[in-house]
This record gives sequence, C-alpha cells and structure tokens, in this order.
Amino acid sequence: MLILILMAVGVLIGLKWFPERYAKVNSRLQLVCTGFLIFCMGVSLGRKENFLQDLLALGWQSFVFAFIPIVLSVLAVYALSRIFLEKKKQ
Amino acid sequence: MMVLIAVLCLTLGIVFGALGFADGAAVFLTEHSDLVLCLLMFSVGISVGLNRSVFRSLRSYHIRILIIPAGIILASVAGGAIAGALLGIPPAGGMAVAAGLGWYSLSGVLVGELFTPQLGTIAFLSNLMREILTFCLVPFVAKHFNGYTAIAPAAATSEDTTLAILMKYTNEEVVVMAVFNGVLCSAVVPVLIRFFASL
Repeated sequence: MLILILMAVGVLIGLKWFPERYAKVNSRLQLVCTGFLIFCMGVSLGRKENFLQDLLALGWQSFVFAFIPIVLSVLAVYALSRIFLEKKKQ
Repeated sequence: MMVLIAVLCLTLGIVFGALGFADGAAVFLTEHSDLVLCLLMFSVGISVGLNRSVFRSLRSYHIRILIIPAGIILASVAGGAIAGALLGIPPAGGMAVAAGLGWYSLSGVLVGELFTPQLGTIAFLSNLMREILTFCLVPFVAKHFNGYTAIAPAAATSEDTTLAILMKYTNEEVVVMAVFNGVLCSAVVPVLIRFFASL
C-alpha cells in the first residue's frame, strides 16, 4: 500500500512541479534502483541454504513451469490486446 | 543493455550472497531494499505524471483494463496444468505452482505448506525464473508484439520489481496498466493457490 501511495505522490509531483529537463536524470535513477533491487534479490538467493542444490535438482522442472505459463500469457494478452485494446485506439 | 545490467546485478548478488563477500554491508542493504523499491515507485510515478495525456487515455478503457490481468491469470494457470501434465504432476499442483504469477516468496511457502515441500521448491524456483526471464523478455516482447503484451511475462511483479524495465521499453500508459495488473494479480495469488489446494 505504501509504495502505491508513494507512486501517487510521484504522479502528482510529475504533473504539477517536476521540471521536464530532469526527466532523463529521473530515468537514470530508475535504472540504478532496478539494478540495486536485482542485486539484492541475488544476495538473498545466494544466502539461501541449498539454493544451488535445489536449482540443480529441480531446475529443469521449474523452468518448464516458468516457460509454458509465460508463453501462454504472452499469446493470450497479445490476442486480447489486438481485439479489445488496439482496436479501441484506432 | 538493460538485460545485461539485470544479469550482471543478479550474478554479482548471488556471488556476494553465496561467498559472504562484504557480508554485513550486503545483508544490511538487502534488508533495507524496500526503501529503494519505494524510491523506484516514487520515481516511476514522476515519469507517469510528466506524461499528462496518460490519464485521459486510460479513462477511455473502462472495464477493458481488466483484460490484461484476466488473460495473464487464465493463461498462466492453463500453462501450469500443461506443464504438470508433461512432468507427471497432478493438475491441481501444477496450476497452484503457476498461480504464483511470479511472486516467488509467497508461492514457494504456500505451495510448500498446502502440497509438498518439493512442489513448494518448484513453485519458488519457477516463479523466481519467471521474474528473471521477464527482465530478458520484455525488450523482445515489447518490440515484436506490443506494449500491453510486455506486461504478460511480468504478471504479479509488474507493480514493483519489473516495472522499471516496462517503463524503459513501453510507455507511461502501459506502465499505469502494469501497476493495476500487478496489484490485481498479487491479490489473487494466495486465493488461487488455496483454491487449487482445496480441489
């Protein structure tokens, strides 16, 4: 909830007061934050006991469970967006 | 470029975590990463606010804004059933694993409690892989399909960790839809997993 409130505050600041000329700096900040969050995710995984053993033992099955839902989601959203969202914009 | 940065940061993080490099500092930063997530969301909010036409455009979608989360949830669950069938895992278990929608921490624990510890580990790893694959797939999907479709691999993570990459490769309108999608998908993850466990 807090992050959504902060995002709403950011939207308000962007709408009313944020100077356009700093848009690129803001974009760089997002890149740095994302890199940092991914690094932190890696640290948590690296510290997790048995992470590498689990990955070796169940990695292939887990990959199948990641890959098929992603492919079906992409196809479904693409088809739905072509029918309901892109047509609306024309 | 973004994909390279993502892979590099993840690899560095795993190495730091596994080998205990700069243990105190790395752990401190990791434990306070929520603050960075808050900063990221605030910054993304500013980007959205700078594009004044976004809200006018979004209002025109009405109920159609639900199409993306509905498509992602149904297709992911169906994908879980197919993956389960291929790997000899019962449909309810397969669908529960995929119903994590990228929220690996919660789905790993819930599936582990409600099914078996092994399936819980699969749920954890597969949803983690979904999040990592999203960083690699968003540029490709946004280029060869469309911006809306780039939200699909992200699923529940589209409201936080993968939002910045969506911001980079799509536009402010898609980003607002991604946040809405992420909130909705995150809300249904525990409900769906419990539902499949009750079957």
